[in-house]
Amino acid sequence: MQSSYATKLIDLIESKAENIAKQWAADVMKHNRTPSYHSLRKDLVIEQGVNFYRLFRQMSLAEIPYNEAKNFSWKYAEEFYQQKIPLHEALYALILMRRHLWLYAEFQGTFVTALEKQQAVESLNRTILMFDYVSYQVTEKYQELAIDNVNKKLGGVKSFLMGKLIGGTKNIYKILVMAILLIAACVITYYNHTTGTAVVFTHLFYIPIILAAIWWGKKGVLVSVFLAALILLSHAFYLKDVPFTDDAVRSAMFIIIGGVVGWLMDSVKKLKELYESLA
Amino acid sequence: MKALASKLVDLTQKNAEKIAWQWAKDVKSNHKTNSYHNAPEEKIIGQAAEFYKYFQEMFSHETPFERAEEVFQKYTRQRHAEGVPLHEAVYALILMRRHIWLYAEFQTIFIAEAEHRKAVESLSRTILMFDYIIYVVTKEYWKLMSPEVTKN
Repeated sequence: MQSSYATKLIDLIESKAENIAKQWAADVMKHNRTPSYHSLRKDLVIEQGVNFYRLFRQMSLAEIPYNEAKNFSWKYAEEFYQQKIPLHEALYALILMRRHLWLYAEFQGTFVTALEKQQAVESLNRTILMFDYVSYQVTEKYQELAIDNVNKKLGGVKSFLMGKLIGGTKNIYKILVMAILLIAACVITYYNHTTGTAVVFTHLFYIPIILAAIWWGKKGVLVSVFLAALILLSHAFYLKDVPFTDDAVRSAMFIIIGGVVGWLMDSVKKLKELYESLA
Repeated sequence: MKALASKLVDLTQKNAEKIAWQWAKDVKSNHKTNSYHNAPEEKIIGQAAEFYKYFQEMFSHETPFERAEEVFQKYTRQRHAEGVPLHEAVYALILMRRHIWLYAEFQTIFIAEAEHRKAVESLSRTILMFDYIIYVVTKEYWKLMSPEVTKN
C-alpha cells in the first residue's frame, strides 16, 4: 500500500512528529477559529498532534487505511467532545494539523527538484485523502456522542412518550380506558351528590385529567371541561341549597391543571421529535 | 496566487455543469453519502452547480472566509432542512473538492513540467477554500442542531 513517492514525507513526519505537533499546538491554542483550545492543557493538545502525525505511517502501511484511521478519529472525537470543544473547532484544528505538516515539509525543503515537485502533488493528495477520512469519522462520531448525550438526558421522557408506559401506543385502548374513567366519575358524582356524602371525591378526577393531558396534549383539556361541567351541572341539580363556590373553584382547577399539563406534554413531544430527527 | 490558480477556476467556471453531474453520480452511489441516494438527480446537480458558482466567486474574492460565511449559510440551512446528516454533508463537500481536481487532472490542464508548481499552488488554494467552507458549514449545522443536542 505504501507508495515510494510518499516515503519521504512519511519519514519526515515520523521523525519530527513531536516538533510538528508542538508547532501545531502553539497555533491552535491561539488561533481565532479555535477559541475553545486556548484554555486546554498544552500536553494534551500536543499528545493529540503526535498521535495524529504517527497515524500517517500506520495508515500508509494498513491494508484498509480508512479502518486504521478510525482508532485515532474516535479517540480524538471522544476526548475533545468531553472537553466541550464544538465540532467546527475540532475540525478546524485538524485542518491546522494538515497545514502544519505541509508547512514543515516545505520549510525543510523536502521537495526541491522537478521530480520532487511532482511527488509533492502526489504526497499532498495522499495527505488530503487521509484528512478527508479523519474529518468524516470525527464528524460522524461527534454526532453519535451528541445523540448519546440526548438519549441520556431524555431517556425517561422518551420511553414514556414512546408509549411504553400507561396505555401503550394504541389510541383505541386509551379511549376505552378514558371512557371507563369518565363513566366512573359520573357514577361517583351522582352517588356523592344524591347521598350528600362529605368525601372530597373530586381529587380522583385528576387521574383522567392527567392521563388525557399525557396522551393527547392540549386537546386533552376537553376531559377537564367535561368533568368541570359534570360537577357544576350535578351541583345545580342535586345540591341546590349549597353555595356554588367550592365546586366552581374545583372546576376552574380541573381546566387549569389539564391545560398546563397538556401544554407541557406538547413541548416534551416536540423534544422527542427533535431526538428522532437526529437519530 | 490568484493568477496561478485562475486556470483551475476558469475550468471550474466553464464546466460547472459537467463537474456537478460527475459529482452527483458519485454522491448517489457512495456509501458515505446514503441520504443522497434517493434524491432526484436534477435537484442535486442544481445544488452542486450553485455550489461551484459560489466557490468561484469565493476563490477570487478579497476576503474569501467572510464571503464563505455569507454564501454558505443558505447552503447549510437547505441541507439541514433536507435532513442530510452532518457527516454526509461534510463528505459531499469533500467529494465536490475531489471532483474539481479529478476534472482538472482528466483535462490534463497542468501538463508541462513547469506547471507542476502551479498545480501545487492551485491545489493548495482549492484546499484552503474548502477548509473555510467546511468550517462555515459545520459551524452553522452545529448551531442549527438544538442547543440541547450540541451542549454536552
